[in-house]
Amino acid sequence: MSYEVLLSLENISKSFPGVKALQDISFDLRKGEVHCLCGENGAGKSTLIKILSGAHQPDEGGRIVFEGKTVRLNPGLAISMGIQTIYQEHTVFKHLNITENIFTGMEIGKNGFLNKKEMEKRTIEALKYLKNELDPDSLMGDLSSGQQRTVEIAKGLIFKRKVIILDEPTAAFSVSEIDNLLEIIKTVKESGIGIIYISHHLEEVFRIADRITVLRDGRKVSMYDRKDISGEKLIKDMVGRDPSTFYKREDVPSGEVIFEARNVTGNGIKNISLKLKRGEILGFAGMAGSGRSELMDVLFGAANIEFGEILINGRVVKQASPSSAIRNKMCYITEDRQDTGLFINQTIAQNTIIANLVNTREFFMSPASDYKIGDKFMKILNTKASDSHVRVINLSGGNQQKVVLAKWFNTDGEIFIFDEPTRGIDVGSKQEIYQVMVGLLKQGKAIIMVSSDMPEVIAMSDRVMVMKNGEITAELNKNEVSEENILTHSIGGSKI
Amino acid sequence: MTSGEEQKKVAKGSIFRRFENSTVLSIFIAFIVIIVVVQIGKTGGSVFPTFISPVNLLNIIQQVAVPGMVAVGMTIVMISGGIDLSVGMLASLVAIVTALGLSKWNLGVVPSVLLGIVVAIVLDTILGFIISRTKVEPFIITLGGMITFQGIALLLCSSREVIMHGELDFFKVNLIAGAKDPVSGLNLIIPPYVIIFMMVVVLGWLLLTFTKYGRRIYAVGSNPNAAYLAGVNVRNMKLSAYAINGLLVGIASVMMLARINVGIITLGQGLEIDSIAMAVIGGTALSGGKGNIWGTFFGVLLLGSIGNAMNMLRLPPEVQFVAKGVIIILAVSLGSVYANISTSVARLGKHNLLERDSGRKI
Repeated sequence: MSYEVLLSLENISKSFPGVKALQDISFDLRKGEVHCLCGENGAGKSTLIKILSGAHQPDEGGRIVFEGKTVRLNPGLAISMGIQTIYQEHTVFKHLNITENIFTGMEIGKNGFLNKKEMEKRTIEALKYLKNELDPDSLMGDLSSGQQRTVEIAKGLIFKRKVIILDEPTAAFSVSEIDNLLEIIKTVKESGIGIIYISHHLEEVFRIADRITVLRDGRKVSMYDRKDISGEKLIKDMVGRDPSTFYKREDVPSGEVIFEARNVTGNGIKNISLKLKRGEILGFAGMAGSGRSELMDVLFGAANIEFGEILINGRVVKQASPSSAIRNKMCYITEDRQDTGLFINQTIAQNTIIANLVNTREFFMSPASDYKIGDKFMKILNTKASDSHVRVINLSGGNQQKVVLAKWFNTDGEIFIFDEPTRGIDVGSKQEIYQVMVGLLKQGKAIIMVSSDMPEVIAMSDRVMVMKNGEITAELNKNEVSEENILTHSIGGSKI
Repeated sequence: MTSGEEQKKVAKGSIFRRFENSTVLSIFIAFIVIIVVVQIGKTGGSVFPTFISPVNLLNIIQQVAVPGMVAVGMTIVMISGGIDLSVGMLASLVAIVTALGLSKWNLGVVPSVLLGIVVAIVLDTILGFIISRTKVEPFIITLGGMITFQGIALLLCSSREVIMHGELDFFKVNLIAGAKDPVSGLNLIIPPYVIIFMMVVVLGWLLLTFTKYGRRIYAVGSNPNAAYLAGVNVRNMKLSAYAINGLLVGIASVMMLARINVGIITLGQGLEIDSIAMAVIGGTALSGGKGNIWGTFFGVLLLGSIGNAMNMLRLPPEVQFVAKGVIIILAVSLGSVYANISTSVARLGKHNLLERDSGRKI
């Protein structure tokens, strides 16, 4: 049996300053097949898609072949040649209806007048083909995310696209919506379209894939036919770093339980219980979107708790808002420094003093003492800037993260939540932040750490909790923590 | 070694950075110098330039006291990330209420004045409440407020002016009666409302710089998400900024009524534009988190002295608009140039410490 290759990549590499995102990748997509891409966070899947959709240009050396011709892609060209990418984040017009969403920019009409009837007819045809009964007049904003994806796929059919790329299409889907989407993909594939499908969920991958390619650290590890591969083998391929290269953390004896959550539910997370001891780092692993940051928001009082209790030092506390959490000696280093951590246009001093205002009774304060406090924590954390008058926008990522730490150290908190503590930080600053974290443990403080960086989770955590779909799927002790174990619980379903 | 040089450059950068009001001050000084030079040129240097004579300087302060007070409130609102377009019509409304209290309802001086100020606080607080509890743009809400207040004011006075009989004249007495200008020999005048304006400026400065409240208001305007996670009650901080602004508008409009002595809808016209312009010239950012009272103070003096100077130079009043507009544009774009200089100087100095990816810089 011979296959018709639609699209192939030959020896593609892509480097960004300081990082090799992709190295020597070869990949091909046949007509009428579903080719799945698997890999951990940061394995290079997104970069590969961006190259296919023309958003990134690959480095010199490789080539992209589409229908037998070598091409240089840019976003416009990719679409006109028939490659449609459906991104993780929705890129729909919420205030327009289905037909308008599909035809925006490609309207059918004559002399400046739109042929609405024709556009609507084609929309209905395409939706029918996908066995869907949506009304083409309904507003996109009123549809569920599953239905919105269906519309985007219908668009691909109407414009006779040849390749459809789906990046994590089922994030935030209900079970029935997932079934529905997988059915639709099967229908679409019959019509000869090639589909590249990316998902963290191995169950989905095994249900629809014809072939599977595994990426790790920007390299292609393996490529299998669906029938030749098991879930265990796939996970083994996705992991495989040498643990001896990980950061070596000093061990700190742990003390009594300082923080406890019982059956906490709300903000998309379900029934979470955990205990945190002084002198301990409790790691949270899981794929992007597994509900870890949502859980942290609840624990810190930044999102509503629907059910369950939080105990600090054995006493039930009400975490009505971040200010009560701060009073209860909690600190929250968020995932996104720029968006939720820093006052980027203010000085280091202004950033440092702000959270501790909750704990101060004085109404009057002098700028001079602000700068003194700012300078003090710059010294403690080894922040590199001339002094605390410097505005945070002028600092590097690592130094910005230290300013965030200074803000929380100044509150004298004891329970630290670190959400992605070293994202976007250079190696040197990473080590410094790890040392700072161990320093906290030595003072008898406790840390909950969310991280998608597998070596970081393994190296830093005393225990690891793995989350998937807003629930905890495993609690691993120090000797059970391994890449394979974590990955199995964060992507594998009960079936594999 | 290069580190010494780097150190120097950093220090130089920080002068730009630390002295936030350099833009408005340099424009202000340049403006004064130009006017003085022109005046000297015209008279051949035989006469002391009247523009900077004490009597004229006091005159300017009297003229800007009322809009200046509103500009202080506007600065606080803008630092919190908001804007208030309703201040002009709110001032008219308050003036009409106070005038009616004095001349029609016969409430007496103190109750009438208090009534006016309370009305201002309550109405602006209602706007602040809506703004802080919904996601609608403050621009829209306060625009609606402006039109509503105009309507209420016109209803109250039946679209006529409310005549007063000098009940508020004690706000206009000269506190330094008898003092003469050594240059022109004219009487020097400092009325109480000028003192009140200066007190508002100083109190506003103390509030923003030396209190917990001030630190939080900058945080809210700079990044509301981060402020919330740092334990700041973002909604109430925004609400309070409008309440303070209401108080200042209330006081300002009573002063205005005392000066003009008649309650009429046109009293507050254009006050929103003037006060926003003064704050912006002084370096306050529409995006929030940036600005300070002394910057605004110089913005007030600068904008206020343009009209005065044009009169001195016997230029037609139409030119004033052009000059005001040009100065606003100049101040804001120069401010951005200064900011660029300061960042790039800081970058040169600490090149290796700095974030290379400047994609997110604004």
